[in-house]
Amino acid sequence: MLLGDRAKYVMLVGGLTFATMLMTQQSAVFFGILKWTTSHLSNMRAKLWIVDRNVQQANELKALRDTDVNRVRSVTGVAWAMPIYVTIQSAKLADGNFKPIMLVGLDNTTLVGRPPVMLQGRLEDVRLPNSIILDDLGVQRLSVGRAKPLGLGDTFELNDKEARIVGICRADRHFFGYPYAYSTYTQALQFAPKQRKMLSLVLAEPAPGWTPERAAKQIEIETGMKAYTEDELFWSTIWWYFRNTGIPVAFISIIVLGFIVGTTISGQTFYAFVHENLRHLGALKAMGASNALLARMLLVQSLTVGFIGYGIGVLLVTAFGHAVLGRGEPPFMLPWQLPAATFAIVMGICCFSALLGIRKVWKVEPAVVFRG
Amino acid sequence: MPVSATSASPLAVHVRAVTKTFGTGEAAVPALKGVDFNARQGELLMIVGPSGCGKTTLLSVIAGTLNFDGGEIDVFGSPLHQMKPRAITEFRKRNVGFIFQQFNLIPTLSCIENVSVPLLINGASRREAEQKAETLLKQLGLPGRGRERPTNLSGGQQQRVAIARALVHEPRLVICDEPTSALDKDTGGHIMELLRDVARHPDRSVIVVTHDNRIFKYADRLTEMEDGRVQRVHGQGGNHDLSE
Repeated sequence: MLLGDRAKYVMLVGGLTFATMLMTQQSAVFFGILKWTTSHLSNMRAKLWIVDRNVQQANELKALRDTDVNRVRSVTGVAWAMPIYVTIQSAKLADGNFKPIMLVGLDNTTLVGRPPVMLQGRLEDVRLPNSIILDDLGVQRLSVGRAKPLGLGDTFELNDKEARIVGICRADRHFFGYPYAYSTYTQALQFAPKQRKMLSLVLAEPAPGWTPERAAKQIEIETGMKAYTEDELFWSTIWWYFRNTGIPVAFISIIVLGFIVGTTISGQTFYAFVHENLRHLGALKAMGASNALLARMLLVQSLTVGFIGYGIGVLLVTAFGHAVLGRGEPPFMLPWQLPAATFAIVMGICCFSALLGIRKVWKVEPAVVFRG
Repeated sequence: MPVSATSASPLAVHVRAVTKTFGTGEAAVPALKGVDFNARQGELLMIVGPSGCGKTTLLSVIAGTLNFDGGEIDVFGSPLHQMKPRAITEFRKRNVGFIFQQFNLIPTLSCIENVSVPLLINGASRREAEQKAETLLKQLGLPGRGRERPTNLSGGQQQRVAIARALVHEPRLVICDEPTSALDKDTGGHIMELLRDVARHPDRSVIVVTHDNRIFKYADRLTEMEDGRVQRVHGQGGNHDLSE
C-alpha cells in the first residue's frame, strides 16, 4: 500500500535518507575530529606516557626537567624510558611565507616515538645533521611556491636553520592541522629556540610482568609526575575536549536534529498515510484481518522504507567519506559501530512511526467501512 | 447449481430482539430497538428504509463488525452473541464477503491484488490467491484488466472487482452496503443481476442495504425498517411496492 503511494513513499524515504546522512556524516566528522585530538598517541605510540602532573590531555604539554627522564628510568616496573620533545615551529616557504609544523624530537639512539609509516627514505638517516622526516601533509604544505613538490634531499628553513628532508612518512593529522616533522631529540633542540626546560614528555615501557596500569601507578608514586597508559591518555584527551570545548555540543546538536527531523518527517508522513487509508484498513479488518496482521503489515512497510532510506543515506555518507579522505579534510572517521548505531536508530524511528499507525488501526472499528 | 429461496429454505441469518445504542447517558442514541429478522439461504434480501432508521447498524451487527447490546444473532448456525471478538473475526474471515458503497478497493494495488486480499488473509499463498482472483475476474467480465489499478476502471467495473473480492474466498454470507448508489441505472442493474446470480446458491445468502428503489425488483424479499425496528417484510415476487 505504502509503496504504491508515490508521494508519501518518496517523502518517507527522503526523510529517512536525510536523517541517516545527518546523523552518520556528522558523527563521522565528529569522530574524525576526536581522532585528530589524539594524533600524538597514534603518531608516537608507547604504552606509558609520563607528563607534568597538571597535564590532562595530549595536546597540552608542560615542560619537564631534563633529569626527569632518569627519574622515570629508576622506577621499579619500568623497562625503559625515552625523552620526547614536542614543539610547534615555523617553517619558511619558498614564497617567503611561514607555516607552522609540529616538530617531534626522538631519542637519538632508539628513535622511540618514530613515525608510524615511512613512505620514502630511511628512518635511520634522521640521525644525520640537520635532518628531518616530514609527513606527506608537510610535503604538500611546505611545497607552496616551489616548481616541484619537496622530496628527499630538499631543504627548507626552520627557525633560520636549514632542515634537510631525509624521509617522508605518513602520520595522522593533528587537531590543529599542523604537519608532523620528526628529528632526533638533540637536533630538535637545535631547531627550537632555547628554553629553560625542554623535555616535553617521557615515553616508557613497563617491565616484564608489569601491567601498564600498575607501572603507571608506580611511576606516579615514585616521581610525583603524571603517568598515563595509552588508553587513559586517549580517553582523558577525548573527555577534555568534551568538557572544555563547544565542539561536542555543536555536533551532538546536529546529530540530535537529524534524529528529530527523521522522527518527525517519518512519524508524520506514516501517520498521515495510515489516516488516509483508514477506510481501507478498516475494510481489511472487516474482511477478517486481525489487529496483529495489520500491525505486521504496517511494521513491514515502515521498516522497508527504513531500509531503503538508510541504505541510500549510508551510501551517500560513504561517498562523502571517500571524497574527503582523499583530500585529508574535513576529518572523517567511520568505524562500523557508527552505521550500525544509525541503523538501529533509523529502525527505531520506523518502529515508532509504525506504532503511531498501529495504535490508530488498533482502535478503528471494522464497522467504519459502512459509514458514508 | 442455481436455486431460488423459498419459505422452506433453511435460515442463513436469524436475528432475535437485537438492540444497539450508541453513546451513553443523555447522549445515548438507540439505533436498534429489538430487531427480529431472518434471511434464508439462496436468497437476496434487501433492507430498506429512511436514513437513520438503523439499517446500516443492523447490517454491521449481522456481519460481526459491530458489537450489539442485547438479543441473539445466528449466522449459518454460528451464535455471534456467544462468540468472543477473536472468534467473530475468524468467523468473518471465512464466512462473510463485503461489498461497499464506495467499493473500498485499495487504489495502490492492482485489481488482481485487491481480489486476492481475502484469500491472503485466509492464509492462501500469493500465487494461488492471484490465480483464483484472475479466474474470477474473467468470470465477472473483466478479462485482461487484472493488472490495472482500480482507478483506471469505470464505476461499474470497479464494483465488479469489489464483487470478485467479496466472493473469491467463497463466503456463505455476502453483505452489500448501497452497492449501486455510486453507479448509473444501467450499470446498477447489471451489478444487481450479478448479485442475484450470486445469491442463487443453496449455501449462500446475500443481504443488501439500499436506498435505491430502482433495484428493489431484484430482491427476493424486502425488509422495511423504521426507527430502529423492522416494520414490514415484503414477500417474494419481484414487484415490491413500498408506497403504502
